[in-house]
Amino acid sequence: MRKPRRTEPHTLAGAYALDAITGADRARFERHLARCQACAGELGELREVTARLAQAAAADPPADLVERAVAAAARTRQLPPAIRPLRPRQLPPAIRPLRSRQPVSRRIALGLAAACLAAAAASGAAALTAEHHVGADQVREHAIAEVLNAPDAVMLTARVSGGGTATVVMSHRDRTLVFTTDGLPALPEGRCYQLWLMGPAGDRPAGVLPAPDHGMTSPVIATDVATGDSVDLTVGPVGRSGQHPASSPILMLNLA
Amino acid sequence: MGINDAGRRQRPGRADGQAVEEDLETLICAVARGDQASFEAVCARVGPAVFGVVRAVVRDPFQVEEVCQEVLLEVWRAASRFEPGRGSALAWVTTIAHHRAVDRVRSEHRSAERQLRAAAHQIAYDEVAEAVEARLDRERVRRCLGSLTSVQRESVTLAYYGSYTLRQVAALLAVPEGTVKTRMRDGLIRLRDCLGGTR
Repeated sequence: MRKPRRTEPHTLAGAYALDAITGADRARFERHLARCQACAGELGELREVTARLAQAAAADPPADLVERAVAAAARTRQLPPAIRPLRPRQLPPAIRPLRSRQPVSRRIALGLAAACLAAAAASGAAALTAEHHVGADQVREHAIAEVLNAPDAVMLTARVSGGGTATVVMSHRDRTLVFTTDGLPALPEGRCYQLWLMGPAGDRPAGVLPAPDHGMTSPVIATDVATGDSVDLTVGPVGRSGQHPASSPILMLNLA
Repeated sequence: MGINDAGRRQRPGRADGQAVEEDLETLICAVARGDQASFEAVCARVGPAVFGVVRAVVRDPFQVEEVCQEVLLEVWRAASRFEPGRGSALAWVTTIAHHRAVDRVRSEHRSAERQLRAAAHQIAYDEVAEAVEARLDRERVRRCLGSLTSVQRESVTLAYYGSYTLRQVAALLAVPEGTVKTRMRDGLIRLRDCLGGTR
């Protein structure tokens, strides 16, 4: 057996199977898991063991448990099958980095995008949403899947001035893009990162980046991308994005 | 794998549960296609294990019921995400159940005071013992738990039944986190070996 090192997330498989790691440790292990076949295999085996622990605690449930679940199911839409472009290796070949203004290697960029996108579109127990009914998350997840699976999807990465990187996966056919970041500096209270589409068709606000999770922001989807648009990132006041950016962009990425 | 609890409605004459387990997988695939009758059958089959693990972790009866409902509904909703090649259907369901239960407890137990109170609880292994009736599989799990070292056993049971994080287990047992991390993993591996083929 390999000697565990402090930086070796592999040994967290047990703690992960027991749901005993949270936050940064959990995210780190999940990123590792996405790249490590051996870990996925081991986790599968460990989950068979935890299933036995669950069975060992089995008891008669309330009489109406099944009845209520069936009634609830009848009112609840099901998720479509998982899309699998979530691991770098599984990204469709069409998704490729076109350019990176700073040396961001393909592997890192793909890993980054995959990790960010996985955060939003992940399937399985690791990312269960609390929703009972068809909701915004599900719609969003579907929209992200559409872009990732689009035959003409391309990936762009760029350094953001001030620190961090931005990754865009864009489908010209669908005129839609998915935007994620990693390592942007934290902003003072009352400020947020705002996303814009800018070009001949005019400036349009495209949303606000959510608070980062372990440095990464979950994907923002921008639709109705027009010819000649660039995607721009600015820092602005929370709650007042307006129709035009109030400051010069810290990122401008041409989508041509 | 042993299916004595989750496979309560198993066909007669199949003590090893193999066919039953395949059935649960087939049923979940049918659920993925929207088959409500199959969903009902799945609920009946996994209900006791789901209820058991959620109850062990959550305790409060009202919340236990709520979380069980969430879990079963998630099984319905996410059935298409079950990948038969990657593990048993029961493991898929109990993973969802445990995750949900732990989420519920952790969102309840944010404050340090509540964590302290949780730490004062009797250790989870005793609760397993307390919940034991006389089912064969349960006995076997209990026996295998007994074959672990005490740090392995407590790391595994405090985390699984007690919803303690690695850090909390380390604090509770006064053992370095790195040790607990390793014990959780090798404890589960030893359990697996003791329980025999888990698939």
